[in-house]
Amino acid sequence: MVPLSYYLAVAACLFALGIIGLFLNRKNVIVILMCIELILLAVNVNLAAFSHFLQDLGGQIFIFFVLTVAASEVAVGLAILVAFYRNRRSINVEDINTLQG
Amino acid sequence: MTPLNFPLPNVVPLIPEMFVAVMGMGVLMLDLFLPKERKVIGGYLAILTCIIAGLLTVQIGMAETVSAFYGFFVQDPFSSYAKLLIYAGTALAVILSLDYIKNEFGVGEYYSLMLFAMLGMMIMASAPNFVTLYLGLELMALCTYVLVGFQRDVLRSSEAALKYFILGSLASGILLYGISFLYGVSGSFDFATIGAAIEHSGSGAHFALLLGLVFVLAGLAFKISLAPFHMWTPDAYEGAPTPITAFMSVAPKVAGLVILIRVLADALPALNVEYVTIFSWLAVISMAVGNLAAIAQRNIKRMLAYSTIGHIGFIMLGVIAGTADGYAGVLVYMTIYLFMSMGAFAVIVLMNREGIQGELLDDFAGLSKVRPGYALAMGLYLFSLAGIPFLGGFWAKYVVFMAAIEAGHLYLAIIALLFSVVGAFYYIRVVKYIYFDETRVAFEFVENRLMQATVAVTAVAVVAIGLYPQPVINICKAALGGII
Repeated sequence: MVPLSYYLAVAACLFALGIIGLFLNRKNVIVILMCIELILLAVNVNLAAFSHFLQDLGGQIFIFFVLTVAASEVAVGLAILVAFYRNRRSINVEDINTLQG
Repeated sequence: MTPLNFPLPNVVPLIPEMFVAVMGMGVLMLDLFLPKERKVIGGYLAILTCIIAGLLTVQIGMAETVSAFYGFFVQDPFSSYAKLLIYAGTALAVILSLDYIKNEFGVGEYYSLMLFAMLGMMIMASAPNFVTLYLGLELMALCTYVLVGFQRDVLRSSEAALKYFILGSLASGILLYGISFLYGVSGSFDFATIGAAIEHSGSGAHFALLLGLVFVLAGLAFKISLAPFHMWTPDAYEGAPTPITAFMSVAPKVAGLVILIRVLADALPALNVEYVTIFSWLAVISMAVGNLAAIAQRNIKRMLAYSTIGHIGFIMLGVIAGTADGYAGVLVYMTIYLFMSMGAFAVIVLMNREGIQGELLDDFAGLSKVRPGYALAMGLYLFSLAGIPFLGGFWAKYVVFMAAIEAGHLYLAIIALLFSVVGAFYYIRVVKYIYFDETRVAFEFVENRLMQATVAVTAVAVVAIGLYPQPVINICKAALGGII
């Protein structure tokens, strides 16, 4: 039996990878979308592990909601990215610089 | 074997939500059949939807607390009052859009998206449970991302949408990660159950609880643009179509604050010491960033973005106080802020120069000579935002500051007072442009009766609440009956 802490460690690694990738990545917006997906999957691993060890189905049901929302989120994100590409002709992170913030 | 029975859930508290959902789809469908020059009908329908939803919310009864769908939805005075604010904010934003957006592609989708964003906020306001919270939050956020990027031929609009989307999704992910830890400790997504479980949890769970607390608070702080999670706000405000900026400045903030209060009061009361410390720092940072950075802005939308960040810092004083008076103060503040902010954006939308909106501070120079009425209204909003006595904004600040002092946060109130003095500088600077500078650019004004009425009504409301604030304060206090 794999203890709960192993699952949590894997999820924490995934989460950290997602966050680090999001901030260190200077090349491509698609990679950012992948990092966001990684963060959501880390959450799902967490929820599944807790759900199993607590013997409570709620967490697994919440995973389906998270997966569904993540799918629609990526759809919206890619649509916005396409609109941005049409105007800017580039999806480099460094080119997102018209608004200085 | 027991016979299966399917009791029909009590759907009465959800009637406003169902109505808005149906109307959102209806506006989308209707748009297909309207000729190009009649697309504005969708906008009028959206306004009508907000009004009828408001009547329904009042009709269902604001006084009692009703829970539906096995505790996944709650209707209480607190959520009902917040929903009324959300309807008002959405309806005013739709009015501002009627003229602004009419030449864009896909006008019907625009109004439908606004209605769905409103639906998301309504669900958030009524969420007693992290599942409902997350779904409402995402419905609101996904619609808002698209609305920010609605002018898809304009570079800054799509860029703002992209930035808002990336940071918004990151915040949702962080919020979810926090929720997963709270679930792990308590075995439930229900606020009240989590609150009870935390109280009985041993010291072994303390670390997981703190992780959950920090991540949940960071995710929610992002949604209400509390510094240092405010990075998206100036860009999204500047790039978005101005009516959407107005929309984002009020309604989502109401929903975010309501859900924040609910999470803190129901789910995390046992961690009171920790979250008060965190929020005290965030509030001070927010006031500092908002009020100091606003001074350097030349674009009024960007300036108002930093002003929102500063105001959220002030509002957090009511949340930190944690008393019924403090939470009522948050509602009072948002009610008054609704009028000030919507009014100011209405004037910005009304100023039109060769299709480009009057957005730079310089564009306001000499407004009083061209349009004294708008100049007076804008002056009132700005003085009110600055918190000059006997305008609405003064009482908004007064109520939350007093709540903070009574709860023993005297130093926070003093810091807030100092920063509101700093804030007065950049608001009054705009008044100086309007009244004492020579006109630099020729204006064209949008002539739209509904928008002019909006300016008039909001200006009167700011003055009326300033002279006689007691009814608003009383209503907000009564609305808090259900939560504490």
